[in-house]
Amino acid sequence: MRRSPLAIAIVGAAAVMALAVPVLGSAYAVSFTIQLLVFLILAYSWNLIGGYAGYTHFGQVSFFGVGAYVGTLLMFHWGVPWYLAAIVAGLSGIVLAIPLGGAMLRLKGPYFAIGMFGLARVLEAFALGFDSVTQGGTGIYLKPMTDLRPLYFVMLAIGAVMLVATWRLDNSRLGLKLLAIREDEGAAESLGIRTTRIKVGAFVVSAIAPAAVGSLYAAYLGFIDPPTAFAPNLELTTIAVVLLGGMGTVLGPLVGAIVLSVVNELLWASYPQLYLAIIGVIILGTVLFAPRGLVGVAMKHAWLPAGRALFRRLALRCAKAA
Amino acid sequence: MAEPILRVEGISKRFAGRVALSAVSMQVARATITGVIGPNGSGKSTLFNIIAGTLRPDEGRVFVDSREITGASAAEICSRGVARTFQISRLFAEMTVLENLVAVATSKDDRAAIAQAQELLEFLEIGAIAGKWGAELSYGQRKLVEIARALMLDPKILLLDEPFAGINPRLQNRIVEHLKSLCDKGITVFFIDHEMRIVLAECDLVYVLAEGCVVAHGDTESVRQDPKVLDAYF
Amino acid sequence: MPLTELLVGGILLGGIYALIACGLNLIFGVMRVINFAHGDIMAVAALSSVSIVMVAKLPFWVAVLVVPLAAALFGLLVQQLILRRIEGAPVIMSLLATYALSTILVNISILLWGGGYTGMPGVLSGSVKLLGVNVSLSRVVSFAVAVGASLGIWWLLARTRFGRAVRTVSQAPELAEISGISVGRVRLATFALGTAMAGLAGVLIAPTFAIDPQLGSRFIVKAFAVIIVGGMGSYPGAFAAALLLGLIEVFGGYFAGAVIGSALLYLLMLGVLLVKPRGLLGAGVRV
Repeated sequence: MRRSPLAIAIVGAAAVMALAVPVLGSAYAVSFTIQLLVFLILAYSWNLIGGYAGYTHFGQVSFFGVGAYVGTLLMFHWGVPWYLAAIVAGLSGIVLAIPLGGAMLRLKGPYFAIGMFGLARVLEAFALGFDSVTQGGTGIYLKPMTDLRPLYFVMLAIGAVMLVATWRLDNSRLGLKLLAIREDEGAAESLGIRTTRIKVGAFVVSAIAPAAVGSLYAAYLGFIDPPTAFAPNLELTTIAVVLLGGMGTVLGPLVGAIVLSVVNELLWASYPQLYLAIIGVIILGTVLFAPRGLVGVAMKHAWLPAGRALFRRLALRCAKAA
Repeated sequence: MAEPILRVEGISKRFAGRVALSAVSMQVARATITGVIGPNGSGKSTLFNIIAGTLRPDEGRVFVDSREITGASAAEICSRGVARTFQISRLFAEMTVLENLVAVATSKDDRAAIAQAQELLEFLEIGAIAGKWGAELSYGQRKLVEIARALMLDPKILLLDEPFAGINPRLQNRIVEHLKSLCDKGITVFFIDHEMRIVLAECDLVYVLAEGCVVAHGDTESVRQDPKVLDAYF
Repeated sequence: MPLTELLVGGILLGGIYALIACGLNLIFGVMRVINFAHGDIMAVAALSSVSIVMVAKLPFWVAVLVVPLAAALFGLLVQQLILRRIEGAPVIMSLLATYALSTILVNISILLWGGGYTGMPGVLSGSVKLLGVNVSLSRVVSFAVAVGASLGIWWLLARTRFGRAVRTVSQAPELAEISGISVGRVRLATFALGTAMAGLAGVLIAPTFAIDPQLGSRFIVKAFAVIIVGGMGSYPGAFAAALLLGLIEVFGGYFAGAVIGSALLYLLMLGVLLVKPRGLLGAGVRV
């Protein structure tokens, strides 16, 4: 059985363009792609806990913001280079996510979402309030970067890792277990799946990349303040990207990120309210008319193969051998 | 009997003042088919859920293979070799039948898990629907997939929650055949149901519950003729 | 420490929270929908009241009548066009839908009213002496109306036929259908009533607080905290929790600043969720 030509085309085209941009493109193109990569990485991370495990929440930006501040403080006070700061920021995501996951994931769906939502707001308030550390509303200014290309490639690498990791997960039994948790956690637990361990694992993994990217983004902007670190815009766009692309799929976040980055680029700078309102409409529209996203629609029309390919292929091979 | 594989001792359970089970005791022998019947409200489901670990009893103890499992969680009981199906099927809707099975497989190797799943589907004669989505299946197909999924756990005891409800008689008979061959392989089958015809024909041991108490038990002949059973039902 | 002042302040604030929580509980109890947009409906109501009074120069009581009605109408539309279509879908979908609605409302408000603060100076101004403390008249009036409306809803649910229908639908929807209650209509009426209460809350806070479009997001987390601590779906619970949280916020804010004050509410909510998910006194309904 051949792999899907359309899927390869999409990923291939994206990869080629992503590699070409810093070499051939203008500074503007690099900026645009960095913004796209931020959405992409946040989306793939959210996809793990929200799309696969089914624990949708509105607090992804918590990890991004914490990572941004951890990284910024390291770079600002101790001159830590941006790439090391990003690594430490990523680790801070893990440190935050382990106890948080253990506590929060005991809550059922809506409570979990509310809990995470509240967390993001509280963290933002802390960032604003503890201004002796964070400079509060004024924000922290960093030395602007002269050459964005190393940062760009690091981000691209993180994005690629998330995409490949999602692909491997999708085609693995661990992925099936996550989906089982999403579909019916009680039944999964009754049949021996270790739900707590798996979902906390997914939650922790979903925190690493956003935290690291938060730090990278702060380095890229040369600036951080509470509204930037905990931007509801990021939260909303991330969710919209995954929802529009297709929750719990490999290509969904990629497709969604590309589409919404364009919308973002067109509207966000000049008409931020209109942009956010449109994102809201997109989320609403997707929920009502295409809850499985663009990739879901493509699967229904058989432009993309439905479900998890590896198992079908292995199953065929086993059947033939029998 | 030799050491029973499943032993229930003096189980009692109350819900908000109403007695659901009262000092229920049972013994299930290895590699047999045991059925529990009783009219609505007799406490069958409550007993089933206590054995499966989704409910805790107020009093009494449950033993699997001589080890106590009273109050253990469903997952722990699962690890002791007990697998269950659900009365209202709880298949994973957005996954294929094959994926439903492979998701719960315990073997380390992917290929082995898939092979096991395929074998079980063949055994239950539903190999053809391996690629169908959980949400697309018919009622009868769901019941069979539920059984297959439980069997993926290589259980010692298979707990079936009303496996025959709403199924046409031909399929019921086929399911009984499959259950019998499972017993031949050493698996114990324990189920609750309403279908007296099947229970009184095919079980090795029958327990009759009424209003939370065991009113009769024994082989199918003695239960069939027990006046207390007729009393309970009619 | 101005104990009485803080006490009175806390209780008055609690009254408003009670009204907001009442609406949320109503919607959650009957439809199992968590209305993320509740706070923003309140914000839009507050802003509209300001426009009615300050721009159109109409008396305040006009706003008190018109705005909740408009909010109810909005609720009807949302239920019919959006929520009804996703009734069978997984819970996340209604969460996402109301979350999206919230975003749309906030941003359209910013476009219509600007992002800054506005208010209703001159309406219900002046102060009253209560328990030896000087309190602004607007706060007392809002408290009184809020409590009155909450009690009114409680009476509606407990004593009228409609109320009985609502309770049946929330506790046993399948039974409701069989006994001839039109579940669809009950849901419609409930959601409209819930949004009307948010609208009323908005009108009431307009003379008391400085209003801006982001008000909703600030109130919504507190409102969630109230219904969770009180037990989701429980009206007496929400009432008690509203007063408790009002007091905590005011006292906490006095001693440790507004940031800590709000954070305390959130931490209390989180604590209750983890330890006693059915509310501090276990009064909540099962999700």
